Amino acid sequence: MKKNLLTIFAVIFITCTSGAQVINQNPLSSRITGYKIDARLDPVNKTVTGKMEAFWVNQTGETVDNIQLHLYMNAFRSNLSTFNRGSGKVTDSTVLGRIDISQFTLGDGTDLLPLTHYIQPDDGNLHDSTVIQVFLPQAAKPGDTVSIYAGFVTKLPSSIRRTGYTKDFFFVAQWFPKFGVYEPAGMRRRTSGGWNCHQFHSNSEFYADHSVYDVTITVPDNYVVGSGGMLLDEADCQDDASYKTQKWRAEDIVDYAWTAWPGYAQFTDQWRHVKITLLIPPERKDQVSRQFTSIKNALEYLTMNVGPYPWPHVTIVDPPLIGSGAGGMEYTTLFTSSSTWKIPSFIHMPEMVTVHEFGHAYFMGILATNEFEDPWMDEGINTFWEERILDHYWGERSGMIDHPAFRMADKSSARSSYVYSPDRQVVSNKENSWSYPKGTYSMMSYMKTATWLSTLMGIIGEETTNDIFREYYRRWAFKHPGPDDFIDVVNEVVKKNHGDKFGPDMKWFFDQTLYGTGLCDYKVADFRCFRQDTSITRIIEADTIVRGKPLKDSLYKCIVDLERIGEVMLPVEVLVHFENGNENLLTWDGKERIKSLELFSNSEIEWVKIDPDFKIRMDVNFINNSKVYVTDRTPVRRMSNKFIAFMQLFINAFVL
Amino acid sequence: MKIFKSLESGFTRSLKAWKGILLLWLGYLAIVSLVAIPVKGFFNTALSGSMITERLKDGIDAEVLGDIGSGFRYLVSAFPASLVVLILVGIILGVFFSGGIFSSLRISAGRFSVRSFFDASARYFWPFLVITLMAGLIIILLFLVIIVAPISIIMASGEVSEKAPILTIVYSVAAFLLISRIFILVADYARAWQVSQDKPDCFKALGFGFTRTFKTFFTSYFMVLIVFVVQMAFSLLVLYILTRWKPATGGGIFLLFITSQALFIFRLVLKVWRYGSVSALKEIKDAEALPPVETPQIPQA
Repeated sequence: MKKNLLTIFAVIFITCTSGAQVINQNPLSSRITGYKIDARLDPVNKTVTGKMEAFWVNQTGETVDNIQLHLYMNAFRSNLSTFNRGSGKVTDSTVLGRIDISQFTLGDGTDLLPLTHYIQPDDGNLHDSTVIQVFLPQAAKPGDTVSIYAGFVTKLPSSIRRTGYTKDFFFVAQWFPKFGVYEPAGMRRRTSGGWNCHQFHSNSEFYADHSVYDVTITVPDNYVVGSGGMLLDEADCQDDASYKTQKWRAEDIVDYAWTAWPGYAQFTDQWRHVKITLLIPPERKDQVSRQFTSIKNALEYLTMNVGPYPWPHVTIVDPPLIGSGAGGMEYTTLFTSSSTWKIPSFIHMPEMVTVHEFGHAYFMGILATNEFEDPWMDEGINTFWEERILDHYWGERSGMIDHPAFRMADKSSARSSYVYSPDRQVVSNKENSWSYPKGTYSMMSYMKTATWLSTLMGIIGEETTNDIFREYYRRWAFKHPGPDDFIDVVNEVVKKNHGDKFGPDMKWFFDQTLYGTGLCDYKVADFRCFRQDTSITRIIEADTIVRGKPLKDSLYKCIVDLERIGEVMLPVEVLVHFENGNENLLTWDGKERIKSLELFSNSEIEWVKIDPDFKIRMDVNFINNSKVYVTDRTPVRRMSNKFIAFMQLFINAFVL
Repeated sequence: MKIFKSLESGFTRSLKAWKGILLLWLGYLAIVSLVAIPVKGFFNTALSGSMITERLKDGIDAEVLGDIGSGFRYLVSAFPASLVVLILVGIILGVFFSGGIFSSLRISAGRFSVRSFFDASARYFWPFLVITLMAGLIIILLFLVIIVAPISIIMASGEVSEKAPILTIVYSVAAFLLISRIFILVADYARAWQVSQDKPDCFKALGFGFTRTFKTFFTSYFMVLIVFVVQMAFSLLVLYILTRWKPATGGGIFLLFITSQALFIFRLVLKVWRYGSVSALKEIKDAEALPPVETPQIPQA
């Protein structure tokens, strides 16, 4: 009887969560998974007690005999977990967290606990318990639905690393048992079907199917709650009047996180159909307009150039100082920013974090790539768009910092991080997130990717780049694209817009940038001009110029020597400027190690520039991209004079 | 009234000591150039023959600096050590020249002569160094007590409000700046006393500095505070001008150099103004402390 009731309940639940629409008129995704969770926060014991009903639908053509789920919170269970080993941080027992499953059954009541065991698919670390595998009593045939029920207690860690608590601040993420992604053969170019359910690593994020979440959260009355869902109802808790219960619903998102803190001030704003909610410490009121402006700019830019933001709600959490470990993280319809009290307006750090984290609603929220295996597809692509948004709205040269004494574009910070890194050639972008050698994950997945994407835009043009992302969105929204799927879109759109101008496809580009470790470095080695009677009119020795007497009708033969120092070969423009003011823009396929260009002119060459508009941002040295025999030393002299004056003032301050 | 009289006298005396100020300026220019010229040479070499300097016309460009590569990395890594050396040399230079300057600020000092300036600088170097070190030590302790300790405590307490740490920093720095003036005043009085003595005795000078500071606290402190406010306002003005002014021509660059050095010289004048004002106030107080001169009586026939 009990089994029958549970089965009936499961069918009703699946029907309700997968079909019924509350937020959007039509489902945005195929809803392979769904969750209904009843959670209660215990602020004294720092636990979340949960009851979860969830389902996974086998939408593949394969029979699946097991299911795999993430227990992310177990990453904080011991210092020997893969996460803690990777982070290199030894923590004492007071900061540890865990998830304990007390009850685990199928929808029909079959106890799954005896059929469950931990697996470590990535590193075989037996101390890691972040993934469980459950062999089903009956294999799930194509079209079958596997319904599960789990009772669990999540103990939050006290040192917030994305999730946890400090005092009465709670950020609850990665807190419930969560299905991995079953990938059938062919999906993301897999040769055979199987679960994609990786362990939790310190250098990895997540991968999940788009789901519907019906979450009931019970917290003390005085707590302000924010979540990735829409608030449907709020009432006093039935069994304890000092608690309140809120019903939330989120549709077609890949993760569900929430926060609770009595100290939040709540602000709201509207952008077209999107209601924006901001939770922020009250003392940061002066940051509210900055946060709203940032997200509205991001919404506008991404809607225009990628695709519409499909949800009618989004929540920004700007955590207090004590919860800063939760800052800068994304959960699609909820994300965390990072500002501080009175942070000067010329530092666009809060804007940058907000734009970046919101951008993840697209790049892995809507276009749900595998963050474990292809971190460049979310972090790198998202950083590329963050740069474009920051520099578009806050200034081409001042997207990151805008002070009269110092300005910096957002795109400069990414490129400089890549160019400046001594590890820039250690690995390629084709790495699992946890496989990057120490100190290279961020530089490679964020910075290098953003830099080569900017380079790609420099080559194929801004409009074609936007077309690529519009098509990528149209084709892959609410699905799981892989690297080859993105490259396919690039190939098609470039061919459509430019024909064979860049060859049959763009493989040559991705082989060198995404899959390669080579450097791109072009150099103007030299230039010289001869009067046509072959007598040399310009001799350059030790920076001294000896000019021949220019004749009005002289004809000069000029030779420009270009050099490819790096391994990467990209097409570049070469601008030759003559003393009479004429300019000649040439193109070079960039393949030869040394290339000599021959030009005829009525005037001698004054300077030569490779890539005059700095489109090839992968070039690791812009300094040698140009050549002139009389360098303008004015800027260096000016900096030197200022340096002297500042140093004099500085030293004088130490003298009594 | 004594405050303004001393300030006025101090300013006049500082202007009279202009040759000493120029020598001090030359000294600073020389030591800073020891670092600035190689740095300038480094950038000139690194950017030589390139049009990239176009991107530096509006100021520093982070990408250009990054592109310089390993050379810039070495420069950055060597900079902190160079800065410490510069500060130490600057302090020693300041100690040396302040002997000559304090000596030339006395009311009894005659016309400025370079020989007597250097003579006094050499004579008072060691006592002035000890006075500077003692006052500096007290100021460092003050820094630890007033700034480092409260900030460490508030950070360790895991305070919920983020206003608290920031306001603590602001108030601590303000308190430090105000309280440290007292010990700078002690050092000034000590040095003013020392140059009025034939025999160097730094500890006696420090004793005088403390006694005179606290005996005439309100007059002395408020006088020094006025100078400090003017100095701070001027320094901020200089920083404002220098950060925003971006000349693009050779003539403009030269004007920038002249102006920046003129502004720095005036900043030195303001420092010597403080020396002069303290010296003047000391002399006024010394005169007040002298017993009244009795008019000799002419014996009656």
